[in-house]
Amino acid sequence: MQINQITNEKLGESVFCTRHESGLEIRVMPKAGYTSAYAVFGVKYGSIDTAIKNENGEFETIPEGTAHFLEHKLFESEDLNAFERFAKTGASANAYTSFEKTAYLFKGSENIGESLEILLDFVQNPYFTQQTVEKEQGIIGQEIRMYQDLPDWQVMFNLLRALYSAHPVRIDIAGTQESIAKIDADLLYRLYKNFYNPANMVLCVVGAIEPQEVFDIVDRCIKKTDVKPVERKFEKESGKPVQSFIEEQLSVAQKQFLLGFKEELDAPLLSLEDEIASEIVLEALCGKSSPLFKRLLDEELIDMGFGSEMFNGFGFSCVMIGGTSADPEKTADIIKSEIRKAQTEGIDPAAFERAKRKFYGRYVMCYNDIDDTANMLMNLYFNDYEPFAELEACKNLTVEKAQERLNILKADNSALSVISPIA
Amino acid sequence: MPQVRMIAEQVRLVSEQTDRFKTGRISVSMALPMDEKMAANSLLIFLLKRSCKEYPDFSLLNGKLDELYGASLSASVSKSGEAQVLTLSLTFLDDRFALTEESIAEQCAKLLASMIFSPNCKNGSFGAENLAAEKRLLIQRIEEELNDKRTYAFNRCISYMCANEAYGKDKYGTIEEIESVKITDVYSAWKNLLSSAIFQITVVGSCNADDVAEIFAKKFEKTERNPVKPETVFYKRGGHFNRYEEKFPVNQGKLVIGFRAGTADSRDNLAAVTVMNDIFGMGTYSKLFMNVREKLSLAYYCWSRLIASKGIVLVEGGIDTDKEKKVSAEILSQLSDLRNGKTDPEVLESSKRSLKERHTFTTPEGICAWYASQVLEDEILTPESLVGEIENVTMEQVCEAAKKLSIDTIFMLSAESEEGEENAD
Repeated sequence: MQINQITNEKLGESVFCTRHESGLEIRVMPKAGYTSAYAVFGVKYGSIDTAIKNENGEFETIPEGTAHFLEHKLFESEDLNAFERFAKTGASANAYTSFEKTAYLFKGSENIGESLEILLDFVQNPYFTQQTVEKEQGIIGQEIRMYQDLPDWQVMFNLLRALYSAHPVRIDIAGTQESIAKIDADLLYRLYKNFYNPANMVLCVVGAIEPQEVFDIVDRCIKKTDVKPVERKFEKESGKPVQSFIEEQLSVAQKQFLLGFKEELDAPLLSLEDEIASEIVLEALCGKSSPLFKRLLDEELIDMGFGSEMFNGFGFSCVMIGGTSADPEKTADIIKSEIRKAQTEGIDPAAFERAKRKFYGRYVMCYNDIDDTANMLMNLYFNDYEPFAELEACKNLTVEKAQERLNILKADNSALSVISPIA
Repeated sequence: MPQVRMIAEQVRLVSEQTDRFKTGRISVSMALPMDEKMAANSLLIFLLKRSCKEYPDFSLLNGKLDELYGASLSASVSKSGEAQVLTLSLTFLDDRFALTEESIAEQCAKLLASMIFSPNCKNGSFGAENLAAEKRLLIQRIEEELNDKRTYAFNRCISYMCANEAYGKDKYGTIEEIESVKITDVYSAWKNLLSSAIFQITVVGSCNADDVAEIFAKKFEKTERNPVKPETVFYKRGGHFNRYEEKFPVNQGKLVIGFRAGTADSRDNLAAVTVMNDIFGMGTYSKLFMNVREKLSLAYYCWSRLIASKGIVLVEGGIDTDKEKKVSAEILSQLSDLRNGKTDPEVLESSKRSLKERHTFTTPEGICAWYASQVLEDEILTPESLVGEIENVTMEQVCEAAKKLSIDTIFMLSAESEEGEENAD
């Protein structure tokens, strides 16, 4: 295995990267002075994967929520489940599923090597029966219900449903009660075989462990299979939303809103430079030190939770701005006019510099926590970027690039999602 | 090991110096009794966070934080036993990552001190407009507690359970109290804070704690101190058992069961009670996780939480409303097993290993929170020292601690059925 060491001098950190013969990418950042390590074993399979390529090379639809269901089920095995095995090393284990990936992780300060072996082993050894699948339908059913009552979650998914007509980013991560009812053990085995191929996975370890130890453990524990990359389906969507307004009533105290601007993509992925430029320009425009924030606060239209986010991934990209508001429509109009103003008059250079400095600081801060660092290394890998790429992109960002990213936000491509108290 | 020093009367500075992090954190915790001044105190902490004499406007202050590489300022109000704790914290980039020669840490320590000691006041007033704005935001914050039904149900259970104790009050004070706070009340609250609150300044990171101590000590030199230490009442047994229910148009019901832990103070039998609570319903090897969730699939989450500063344990779960009796019966049956020693010895070992792991903090925020939560304790307890005690806990001690748990109150947030009828069990 050829080991590639990537160092960031300013940060004083190095990442050791290698590709195992199985196709598995490994990235390790040893941290001096730490007694704990955090490992994440990720697979490029998330809620947006609602189709797989079959033997005839055609995309075939699968039920919604399978990635998340598999995440729950992999913890089980014929004898000791993964939690019971980690209990013996003392590590805290967990997993999560997002739009684009499933991640299995642990954090431990003792028996780190042993915990790593357990992590690699349980993810590579699926065990499902009809009975255990049915049991999980009950647990996940409760998880779905819990999210249905969370206004922050609902306001976002309603916005995604208003913006996207076909892209599966519009569906809930866990699927629905109906879609998970269609899942059985056979289907899980088939999907497992399709997605859980080392060439579609990455292992990132950060903290109190030597790179060579990680590489040796992987070599011992990874099953040798044919390298088989997984192809994702890219369906181009226009920049136009499905509907410009969506509202739902929930048991809440105040109205909540999220204003979204959809971006039309020619290629499935946005560049890191574009993504960061958007983040920084949004901060300059809507951050706590901006005139817009002050105005909305003075007019009693928002609270301190008001904020913005760049939300993008495979085949989707949009900007989200929102919070709690007594009058979401009026607030959205003010935001849109502020954006128009910055598009015609140009971004305030001082605000841009402040936002850039803030983001530089925040990106460095991400390397504080072994959890954040490992997850960031995984995300960069899944998007084909080298470690520390985001720091460089942030440092090199120009105001012209930020202006260019701001100028693509168009009122015609926007939608407003509102959650209102039950009348 | 942290360094502990007193820099003024009842003003303690706890610091852990380390250069392994990329950030530093300074947190100032200020504890006051839970009395009629709670609403004014709450408004005060948010006014202190809004602006200060040096940066007399919300945008200017936040602009300064952006320039400090996105230093993150937070203000919070919490309860520690029957004390209201106001906290102002700053997390900032370590000096070695600054793009120019400047000390971010020193600027942040000075900023924090000036926010507390030199607020944006003119002639003894925080400004009517600022107060009105913070009143609106605080009332909205309280009303929004309803949005997250899990937290709402948890707090409702405590307010019913401790209705006759100061602990039953909302940490911010009530909406009515907030509405009636006058501009002069906030100024008095500030004066009172400086003279009578118990202070702890917690510093984690590479910054020099001596410098931070000096910055704050100078401010306290000019302040007359008459600190008052809040006391907390511990009821060792639950009183008359009550069940309360509220109905909401939601999908999932929330069950909360409140127990008295049977402890006499926040450190009483702490190691054994911590392990007992962990085995009951914290870890993935716990009785509630293994049975309510894994075996019976009744919930996605069902766990127990120990509040040592008040001597209570709360069990909570998100469940189908019509399964309430089944779930509460299972929770009590698991407690009975725990009391009677029906616990695999391997689970006790798992719990000890896991608790050790969870007391190994890997961020400045984690370390800072651990020490800051001890603002009212006479002695600082290190995580290592608690872990050492935990390692010696026996199964008998776990059973004894479980036997001391006594049920006090059940709160059920029920989902209204669509027809508006009562849900049958």
